[in-house]
Amino acid sequence: MSGARASAALLDGLEADGGEVLRGLGFRGRLRLLAEAGSRFLDPDDPLAREALHRLPADSGLPAAECSRVLAGMARDWTSERLAAAIRADFPDPGVLDGFVAGVRGARERVVPPRLLVQVCAGNVPGTGATALLRGLLVGAPTLLKSAEGDRVLPELLGRAIREADPRLGAAFALAEWKGGAGTGIEREALARAERVVVYGGKEAVAGVRVLAGPLTPVVAYGPRVSFGVVLRSATGAEAPVEDCARAASAYAQRGCVSPQLVFVEEGGERSAESWAEALAEVLARLGNEPDPGAAPGMRALREEADFAAAAGRGDRAWGGPEAGWMVVFEPGVRPFEPSPLGRTVRVRPIGSVEELPGILAPARQVLQCAGVEGREPARSGAALLLARAGVTRITPFRDQPWPPAWWRHDGEGPLRVLVRWVSLEGPPEGTLGP
Amino acid sequence: MTPPADADALREALKARIRGIMARDRPEDPAEVDALALQVLRHQARGNPVYGTLLRNRGLDPEALLHWTAFPPVPARAFRIHSPFVGDPEGAEATFVTSGTTAGPVGGEGAGAARGVHRVRDLSLYHASLLPTAGAHLRDPGEGGVLRVLALMPSPGELPGSSLVHMAGVLAGAWDDGGGAFLAGPDWRLDGARVARAFARAREDRVPVLLLATAFALVHLLDQVAGTSALLLPAGSRVMETGGFKGRSREVPRGALYEEVARRLGVPPERIVNEYGMSELLSQFYEPVLAEGGPADPEARRLVSPPWVRTRVLDPVTLEPAPVGSPGLLCHLDLANLDSAALLLTEDLGVEVPAPGPERRGGFRVLGRNPGAPPRGCSLSIEGWMEAAG
Repeated sequence: MSGARASAALLDGLEADGGEVLRGLGFRGRLRLLAEAGSRFLDPDDPLAREALHRLPADSGLPAAECSRVLAGMARDWTSERLAAAIRADFPDPGVLDGFVAGVRGARERVVPPRLLVQVCAGNVPGTGATALLRGLLVGAPTLLKSAEGDRVLPELLGRAIREADPRLGAAFALAEWKGGAGTGIEREALARAERVVVYGGKEAVAGVRVLAGPLTPVVAYGPRVSFGVVLRSATGAEAPVEDCARAASAYAQRGCVSPQLVFVEEGGERSAESWAEALAEVLARLGNEPDPGAAPGMRALREEADFAAAAGRGDRAWGGPEAGWMVVFEPGVRPFEPSPLGRTVRVRPIGSVEELPGILAPARQVLQCAGVEGREPARSGAALLLARAGVTRITPFRDQPWPPAWWRHDGEGPLRVLVRWVSLEGPPEGTLGP
Repeated sequence: MTPPADADALREALKARIRGIMARDRPEDPAEVDALALQVLRHQARGNPVYGTLLRNRGLDPEALLHWTAFPPVPARAFRIHSPFVGDPEGAEATFVTSGTTAGPVGGEGAGAARGVHRVRDLSLYHASLLPTAGAHLRDPGEGGVLRVLALMPSPGELPGSSLVHMAGVLAGAWDDGGGAFLAGPDWRLDGARVARAFARAREDRVPVLLLATAFALVHLLDQVAGTSALLLPAGSRVMETGGFKGRSREVPRGALYEEVARRLGVPPERIVNEYGMSELLSQFYEPVLAEGGPADPEARRLVSPPWVRTRVLDPVTLEPAPVGSPGLLCHLDLANLDSAALLLTEDLGVEVPAPGPERRGGFRVLGRNPGAPPRGCSLSIEGWMEAAG
């Protein structure tokens, strides 16, 4: 069979057979089987979990210890309880997934999954592709998932677990790979036929997908984003936030968009921002991470800049560097907003008050993700309001920052809701022609 | 601290020696640049308190260092913090501003913006560096006489802070036959019809053109002006392409861009010369394709330095020389930066390219900010931020 005919046959099968299987199971059946498959990765004795831990370091480029944390953090959201919570967060009445239910003012409503959902992953953090696959199947969408370098193993193994949970589900998804933007073969055909597309990646990846999907197909784009931390005056003296921030910055070697890259520390508390930075450096040094070669050029540039700024009397201090696998840079004074070069690099900046943050964050408004905020109430809620208005979509303690829950509204939107189409049925339930 | 009068005398002596190399386009012997570089960096450590402090903070005594490679380079981004300058900055003859901004994708000027500033004390030294290098790479071997210099750029009067535009002004002043023009507005916007008229006049006058253009300006021009003959340039013309896309146009692979330029402008790829320059450096790098007759394929080319510049490829982790053929951060020694920072660490990764033959110079290839790096995930890094900012 030629490549084009094989692609067409694959997509035909997903649309027809896959759709039927998913509909037949209903959302409760899908939830049960997907959770059965996903929760296997929490069992260290499960052969698939063992295989994942064995293959993940080579696949992701992350150290083995980090891979264990990543798998545990990801798979915790693949259980029945958490997948159900994710559904309830987006569909308070999950019945809408299977049929019309009572909606607003007498109307009935339901959701309909796309006949074909294409999800394009792009060199992401491991686990992103697997979670994307679960989301698609959960709402009943036959899914073609384009895996990406750095995140191939978990979609493959989760796929195997899903087929083992119920072989019929094998008809409902497929994993594929193509070189993004080439516009050839299955990429062109799949994106042209998709009823909805999810794409993870930068502006070029998104633009390429939009062209191939056509102007009428909804495209959900998850682009690169930046997260940060805020330590309010009342929390500067506490040790736990320092420890938690270091761990949050270390998760996924800071590749995940939820890990903090900058921390703004309010001055006037028990500990100065400079001392807080020093304490953070001590924890990162103790955690002993491996150097990240991809981040080294940017880390080197920032380290050299900090040393030069210190010589120029600006008060900058730097700890660690590309050779250490982590870096903290204390940057006093008024600075333009800038992310870090990653590689577990945290820029610590003093602020007089959280009131300054909206102005500081304004240039990054459209790329802000989440903020780890530490402090007592009511100041913490006050800061949250400012940050929400500034563009942040999630506010959390540092401890939870790298592990958003399954029901997290990804980039401010329900990740399951964005996959489906709502349909309303108006008119009286007994029919329009009366009794 | 050297007394100011002595410092000035030393500077004049260093400048004379540097200009000597520039005038003959080669050092007396290979060690001449090494010796001169050591003196220039010591002069900068004495005359620029910030650089002096940087050395002191690292426990380095400039008088005790025996080779220029032992000095710490000044990072390009440091120009945002402090414009390195030896002498009274009030006496600067020109001020160049870096084109990049860290204001971010949705920012702008103001609190979020930060541009680097390079103050130039002595334009004569800059021009003494600029002209022979450009002459060696933008003129055909043995070519004399005038050219028509057309620039797809704003004029120096409209954009005095751009080192690229300043350079174009110097080249036009030296080589233009009187018919040249700067063909973009202050916002770099092109009027395609005006460009086509200028090209038509050059065809009528039968004068070879030197077209100075950024990559994004070439794309704009090709997109704006239709037809296969409107943009043809006279025989013997050549194009200097520089500056990348900076988010100002769609990005086109260099090979495809050169092919399109060849088709529409009639300038073959081997007469399209890439120039690599930075506001922070007063010397430039060129691909020696006119002197060497190619190659046409941009992927097979190298950039070469003028004799008063040394380029090192450094391991980003250790700042030690990267193994030949391995990518690393580009670090340039430029003696034309006598009055600012002669040793500059860029954020560009590059790879050393050996000399392709006995009579030819080795060089380097620029790979960009973070080429071929492993996946960075969904975190927006500073590189992505700056790229988005253009």
